[in-house]
Amino acid sequence: MTRAPALDERPLGARHSSRTRVYLAAATIAARHAWANPVEIIGRGVFLGLLLVVFSGLWRAVPLGEGAPDARGLLWYLAITEWVILSLPLVHLDLERDVRTGDLAYLLPRPVSYVGVRVAEHLGTLAVRMATLAPVAAVLATLLAGGLPGDPRGLLLAVPLGVMAGVLGVITYASIGLTAVWLQDVTPVYFVWQKSAFVLGGLILPLHLYPAWLAAIARWTPFAALLHGPGRTAFGFDPAGAATTAGLLASWTALFAYALHRIHRAALRILDVNGG
Amino acid sequence: MEPAVEVEGLSKTYRVRIRTAGFSGALRRVFAPRTEDVAAVAGVTFRIEAGERVAFVGPNGAGKSTTLKILSGILHPTAGTARVLGLVPWEDRRALGYRIGTVFGQRSQLWWHLPALDTYALLRHVYDQDPVVHRERRDRLIETFRIGAIVTKPVRSLSLGERMRCELVASLLHAPSLLFLDEPTIGLDVTAKAVIRDFVRERSVKDGCTLLFTSHDTGDMERVCDRVLVVHRGRLLIDEPVAALRRRYIRRKVVTLATVETDVTVELPGVTVRERAPHRLVLEVDTSVAPVEAVVAAALAASRLEDLTVEDPPMEEIVAAIYASAEKGAPS
Repeated sequence: MTRAPALDERPLGARHSSRTRVYLAAATIAARHAWANPVEIIGRGVFLGLLLVVFSGLWRAVPLGEGAPDARGLLWYLAITEWVILSLPLVHLDLERDVRTGDLAYLLPRPVSYVGVRVAEHLGTLAVRMATLAPVAAVLATLLAGGLPGDPRGLLLAVPLGVMAGVLGVITYASIGLTAVWLQDVTPVYFVWQKSAFVLGGLILPLHLYPAWLAAIARWTPFAALLHGPGRTAFGFDPAGAATTAGLLASWTALFAYALHRIHRAALRILDVNGG
Repeated sequence: MEPAVEVEGLSKTYRVRIRTAGFSGALRRVFAPRTEDVAAVAGVTFRIEAGERVAFVGPNGAGKSTTLKILSGILHPTAGTARVLGLVPWEDRRALGYRIGTVFGQRSQLWWHLPALDTYALLRHVYDQDPVVHRERRDRLIETFRIGAIVTKPVRSLSLGERMRCELVASLLHAPSLLFLDEPTIGLDVTAKAVIRDFVRERSVKDGCTLLFTSHDTGDMERVCDRVLVVHRGRLLIDEPVAALRRRYIRRKVVTLATVETDVTVELPGVTVRERAPHRLVLEVDTSVAPVEAVVAAALAASRLEDLTVEDPPMEEIVAAIYASAEKGAPS
């Protein structure tokens, strides 16, 4: 059988379409894999439901002060932020495992980008989780909040922003995972990142309820775009604010994708010297 | 004809940190770290012709995996040269990726919750295969490895032997000219090992695919390969046909008998008792003096057998014997 010429020997257009097909195939098989494991999907759905039940009770009991959205708005905010967080696949753990167990030895000799395929796979998993958790979040938030947010058009904007936030989450987790080449154990980095996202992203409360100085700091971090941006859009129809959030998400995604690319290259150099 | 693998003076040295225990040791590691160089591969030279089936054996830490990683383009050597299928692996890794296959016995490239067929479909895209060519080759391999009945089941429901057959098909789908096999029979039972060995050898003979096979199991080496490279502490100790190695070093078999009788005696020239326990007798057989068949016949005559196993001596013993004879300058 004659072999196909290596990708790098082909014209640029052919190279790109071929790589796109590989990444699409990787995302598709990962999506099917996620779908074939319903226990995990159900578990995440149950956890999301539990969170919404607990916080809906909490916000009815606790006065949140002036300027705060009503309990219905807050519950929809939480439904969106938790939908994003609970949909994120733990890319960093897979990449860390590849490095620690030596599975890289299987994956690196393939004629495709290791990190490109891994990110594509997790985007496939993200797609299944978002698609399955969205109806759970929507139904439970409607039941617990007693209806849709004041202006439901905000929800239509929050969903694509949530998907963009999911993509940013996968890219950042992948960047954390690849640091395993140096650290072996990425748990401390992930821990700091996750807790920062919860606090500075406004996982359970919108940033405008924070002290002004803390909200100002948070807005300079990617976490505000990741969680507060899509969540805030859910309970107030604000096309200009949504456009700003989309721009921020796209910018942070581009920045972290570039960082991931550089980390990948540096990691390959280390592996070249120290082994997989 | 271009050799499949050509290696000259290949060396790989790792710089590792010296770790000392305790709090002061931890401080020293931060402020005044000390390192030492460890030679994983030390000046190895060999050549493998296209279509050869070569066993690459040695105890743990001998440098086998490091050499395989260099040859598959994952690692840069510290010194020396290597060409694999005419390419320098660490410079042309992506181009080489289309032409080599890898099988690692303790790793899996199959998706756990999905049938192996789904992984094969993904690999078609990874290796950019024409769909018709892919389907024809896939179906032929499925038939050869007799996995037609299991290839549609989720991988999680397969036995280790079945899964390994599916892994081998995955590694052969893109028709590699060179296949690296790293302990592909590890953990398998006797029957599954025999099946894998037969399939691998058969495919290599039919496709002309070169094999570089690492294993701790002398059976793998004897039944699949024609030539053996023995490495120890990063150095190449022996490069010769498997038949020659067998004559010189693999003359012994270990026969274990489980008997109905409490105490059994088997006395034959070339047979020594390695271990004796109630209902159990472990014999070491010098096959150049007593064939295994004669030992089994004698055991059957002397007792009622409940179980019987015949094993090769462990690779570590063989390498130790080779190493000892190499140090003496003559084979034992």
